[in-house]
Amino acid sequence: MEALRLYVRLVRLSMQARLQYRADFIMGMLNIIALNAINLGLIGIIVYRFVDINGWIVWELFFLYCLWLLGHCLYSLFFWHFWEMEEYIVHGTFDQFLLRPASPFIQYMGREVQYIGFADMSVAIAGLVLAYTNLHLHWSLAQWLFFPVVVISGTLIETALTLMMACIAFWTGRSSMAINLVMEFNVLVQHYPIDIFGVWFRVLVTGIIPVAFMNYYPALMLLGKIDPQSPTAWLGYISPLVALILIAIASVVWRLALQRYSSSGG
Amino acid sequence: MKIFWSFARQTFQFIAAYRFDFFMEFVLAVVRMYGIYWVWRILYTQRPGAFGVTLEQMTTYGVMGMALEMFIWSRPQWYMANQIKSGAIDTDLMKPLDFHLYMLARSVGEMFIGVGVLGLPALLIAYIFLGVQFPPNVAAGLLFVLSLILGFLLLFHLNFLLGSLAVVAMDIRHISWAYFSVVRFLGGQIVPLWLFPPFVAAIAEVLPFKGTYYIPISIYIGRLTGMDAIRALGFQIVWLVVLVLLSRLLWSAAHRRLVVQGG
Repeated sequence: MEALRLYVRLVRLSMQARLQYRADFIMGMLNIIALNAINLGLIGIIVYRFVDINGWIVWELFFLYCLWLLGHCLYSLFFWHFWEMEEYIVHGTFDQFLLRPASPFIQYMGREVQYIGFADMSVAIAGLVLAYTNLHLHWSLAQWLFFPVVVISGTLIETALTLMMACIAFWTGRSSMAINLVMEFNVLVQHYPIDIFGVWFRVLVTGIIPVAFMNYYPALMLLGKIDPQSPTAWLGYISPLVALILIAIASVVWRLALQRYSSSGG
Repeated sequence: MKIFWSFARQTFQFIAAYRFDFFMEFVLAVVRMYGIYWVWRILYTQRPGAFGVTLEQMTTYGVMGMALEMFIWSRPQWYMANQIKSGAIDTDLMKPLDFHLYMLARSVGEMFIGVGVLGLPALLIAYIFLGVQFPPNVAAGLLFVLSLILGFLLLFHLNFLLGSLAVVAMDIRHISWAYFSVVRFLGGQIVPLWLFPPFVAAIAEVLPFKGTYYIPISIYIGRLTGMDAIRALGFQIVWLVVLVLLSRLLWSAAHRRLVVQGG
């Protein structure tokens, strides 16, 4: 509880600093919305020509895209600055988090709240509502309960993966390219159903960098595309489990990384 | 000219220091090529008639769109934004070379690095594993190279214009996100213009962006041939002239407005 109070305090301070630049805030939001609109436009154009991609019609693809985005927006709101951790490590400014009598993780998290997450969120919610109505979905109570669990799982999966990649910087001093690599798989999984890709790609995004659990597998279930006969049908339900396992691994990696840290001095 | 090359060489050495980043960048490029290859392959098997080209041409287009990024992408805008923000731009303005040319020299250096370290190895992967074809004949190959150089120059000037905005806007990070997707979309990097709905195609046809990816690759796969290819090169040249003039104009206006912070 103490940790949460501290976090909220830190975030309030960083928000106050950030909101001084109001024009920047508005530009950031508008540009993120434009970026998503163009991405969805591209998917729309492909499907406009071909009716569907491997059996996924346009609204199903939008659903896939926006389900990923909704999980992602919570990640980018709270954890986006993992991406900048290497700067703190290279310059030795990471010391400040170790000197104060509070969890370094909470302190680092409290550095920033990335407001652009709100732009992603508005696109994601609008897209999901449109997809839900246009696909004439009628979710059962179980599906409605499963939906927020999926979203949070998505956030945790992305957060854990990014944190692990960011920790690489404790050993090598650089990590942003490793985060970009995970992001690249994310982008492919967000845009296209993974069943169009080859086997090794599907194995990779299921078992090694399991980003497919952010949207693809749960979407199969939520869109009623799951084939109960299929031997892999259970994959649609285990996103929360995958998220918990990843978080556990990430926290071990984080602890190892902190032990490893030696200030670059200066 | 000698000064120009020495600046280009300097950039080459600077970037060569970041080997790990380049390796990761290379992996990224391979992932992107692989992804787009399967998208077009699946769509093609669904409706072969809808493309107007063969499966090999279509996958070649897609993979080349990703591979050519390393050939034509330059980043003068980041350098300009950083220098303006930190105030270090004043040392650039004192250099014995016109600023616009200096930026071009830097970008040429970056491009050679990108091509040597990333572009050519990525193409090799594309030829061996992703079934990318060669141009149908020597003439198409030569026109492609010419068109690619024009594409590089076009994109450089678009980026330079974005960088000049930094004088007014200070922070171009946010604008650049939307800007990149516009270039990729209207430039036809992912989806070629002939697959666009008529309304969007009409817009993309007249804007300079299609000179970056769409024209070089269409010439490469043999979709644009003969007089059409020549006309497309003409289109690139006309826009290049316009953008060069615009860059000179905007930069000299920005230069006058430039306020160097700190110091």
